[in-house]
Amino acid sequence: MERNMESLVQVKGLSVGFRVFEGLLRVLDGISLRIGQGERVGLVGETGCGKTTTVKSILKVLPQPPAVIFGGEVLFRGKDVLRMGRRAVHQLRRSSVAAIFQDPLQALNPVFTVGTQLSDIVRDWAAGTGKRLSKKEIFRRCVEALAQTGMPDPERIMTCYPIQLSGGMRQRVCIAEALVRPVELLLADEPTTNLDVTIQDQILRKLDELVEEKGMSILLITHSLGVVMDLTERVYIMYAGTIVEEGKTEELFTNPKHPYTQGLLKSIPKLTGEGISQGIPGRIPNYLHPPSGCRFHPRCEHVMPICTQQKPPLTESEGVACHLYRGDVR
Amino acid sequence: MGAYIVKRLLQSILVLFGLSLLIFFIARVVPGDPARAALGNLATEEQVERLRAEMHLDKPFFVQYYYWLISVLHGDLGKSLYTQRPVTQDLVQFLPATLELMLFATLISLVVGQTMGVLSGYFRNSWFDGLFRVISYAGVATPPFVIAIFLLFIFSQLLGLAPGVGRLPITMAEPPRVTGFLLIDSLLAGRPDVTLVALKHMLLPAISLAIAHIAQEGRITRSSLIDVQQKDYILAHQVHGIRPTKVIFKYLLRPSIVPTVTVMGMDFAFLLSNAFLVEVVFMWPGFSRYAVNAMLSKDLNAIVAVVLVIGLTVALVNLLVDVTIAFLDPTVRIRRRGG
Ligand SMILES: Nc1ncnc2c1ncn2[C@@H]1O[C@H](COP(=O)(O)OP(=O)(O)OP(=O)(O)O)[C@@H](O)[C@H]1O
Ligand code: SF4
Ligand SMILES: [Mg+2]
Repeated sequence: MERNMESLVQVKGLSVGFRVFEGLLRVLDGISLRIGQGERVGLVGETGCGKTTTVKSILKVLPQPPAVIFGGEVLFRGKDVLRMGRRAVHQLRRSSVAAIFQDPLQALNPVFTVGTQLSDIVRDWAAGTGKRLSKKEIFRRCVEALAQTGMPDPERIMTCYPIQLSGGMRQRVCIAEALVRPVELLLADEPTTNLDVTIQDQILRKLDELVEEKGMSILLITHSLGVVMDLTERVYIMYAGTIVEEGKTEELFTNPKHPYTQGLLKSIPKLTGEGISQGIPGRIPNYLHPPSGCRFHPRCEHVMPICTQQKPPLTESEGVACHLYRGDVR
Repeated sequence: MGAYIVKRLLQSILVLFGLSLLIFFIARVVPGDPARAALGNLATEEQVERLRAEMHLDKPFFVQYYYWLISVLHGDLGKSLYTQRPVTQDLVQFLPATLELMLFATLISLVVGQTMGVLSGYFRNSWFDGLFRVISYAGVATPPFVIAIFLLFIFSQLLGLAPGVGRLPITMAEPPRVTGFLLIDSLLAGRPDVTLVALKHMLLPAISLAIAHIAQEGRITRSSLIDVQQKDYILAHQVHGIRPTKVIFKYLLRPSIVPTVTVMGMDFAFLLSNAFLVEVVFMWPGFSRYAVNAMLSKDLNAIVAVVLVIGLTVALVNLLVDVTIAFLDPTVRIRRRGG
């Protein structure tokens, strides 16, 4: 039952901003998270809290500018991705990492066929392992990956351009792209947003099976708390660019500690932009001038004087970043 | 793709058909009585009537148009009042010099402009990018004939690095005329030395014409490249472990240059109009000077020919651009097909 929980990825104190016309958006504020080997980790938070930014930082694909990385580390097996050279990063991605991007309408190159894009992944991966696969073998693998996602008529889909596919089909192509070669880590940024509920469920189960079968680690981002509950072992709750709580999924959901998590769980099942406001009054803060101290304090019903002055750290023991749980200050 | 080209070709023919109607209107209807104009004031009514019948001017509009179109398609555009020769003969003499210059300028702007745009976009905010942006602002803002005057003054007068005006020195005989393109004709005549001299003569006027296009189209490629670079699909290609060079030269470049190609089609009309003034500065014995003279001397047949040639060229260039875009961006032809 217990897996080997040696860390595959460790993010430490990562701070990322975006320089825009109005000034500097301070989005990620020193976040830390860990993904163990073979572990399924969830990342949950309302829209705009920085989930995609976190994923892109781990993959080292944040466009700079506008993004600015102020500090922190992203360790993959102990090596800092952020300080790796181009070549090393490429080799790491090729052999170990896959990602499913949030918006499947944006994540496929419009001017190449599905087949071209998929088979290039297999070809370059094979080249990295020193193998040379025949055209036929590459084609077979691509079709298989498409079929695994439940795509109808995968062989025909190979010759299609993304514009010829529906949103759901494109999402499947994105998933196939992530699963067409073996990797150690899968970063799935809302992999099923564009699918209807029954298919969502089907695809997520499939994804879960594949992850299990291949022994991958997965970081799953989703708006659906039900999905997190079903598919992950551990979960991080994110609010306005900070990790506010972390813990075993089941424990955290039955006994949420952070006021934000408590509000969040009231707003089950869906966390759309407005969905959350029924649980917690107020909106996500502006990143130009984020609230001082605890970023949640303008919306928190337990706010104390110290909350506006000092940022509460995420404690190892409790797994929560809130002054309420720090005996010494209370 | 084949079906798309055929369809697009038919469209071009339709456009040219419309253009020919317009030109016919200018040529035959606007100036009043062409028969009277041709014969002058001294001719008698009967003479004029006879000519009118000969020219089918007594027939309905569309019949007249039919006869006119037939003669145009046979290369008969009438006589130029100014040169007193068939207009077609004038075109054969003057057009190649301009086409050669424009093609050469286009080649320069393509190679230099696209290379600079891609480098500048890829190494965004580097010193090269900064330099390119400053130069390109200046390039877009300065009219080509001003550049032409400066280049001529600096490189020819002051430094003596480049030859002066014209296509060849006066002392050098033109090679026998085959295509009208000096670079080609001289090679065909086995005179690479003449090719070299002709090339030197063409360099300054071609650069004068090319600079604005280098600036404009290079800038578009630059910003489009930066835009595409940040698209999720480029990030996805990288994350999926595609070789960095393949990401750049295959997946990034192709979608990036689509907007540039579109603009190049539109810019071609500017190239034509800029060529008018640059040819004047460099005393280039080309089509532009012929066209200007035709306008100034109200030489109707010549004007018709000029408009026809420009229309044809623009239609042709647009066809070429559309086919190129359809090749680069398949979504264009899929969308048009509606599926
Ligand atoms: N390229 C960018 N330029 C400027 N601001 C950006 C950029 N990318 C993200 N941001 C800002 O960073 C914040 C976090 O964005 P991010 O996409 O990480 O949120 P998210 O948690 O993934 O939201 P969602 O659930 O809607 O996908 C947002 O306020 C967003 O406006
Ligand atoms: S630190 Fe203070 S403001 Fe922040 S959640 Fe805890 S009690 Fe609320
Ligand atoms: Mg997101």
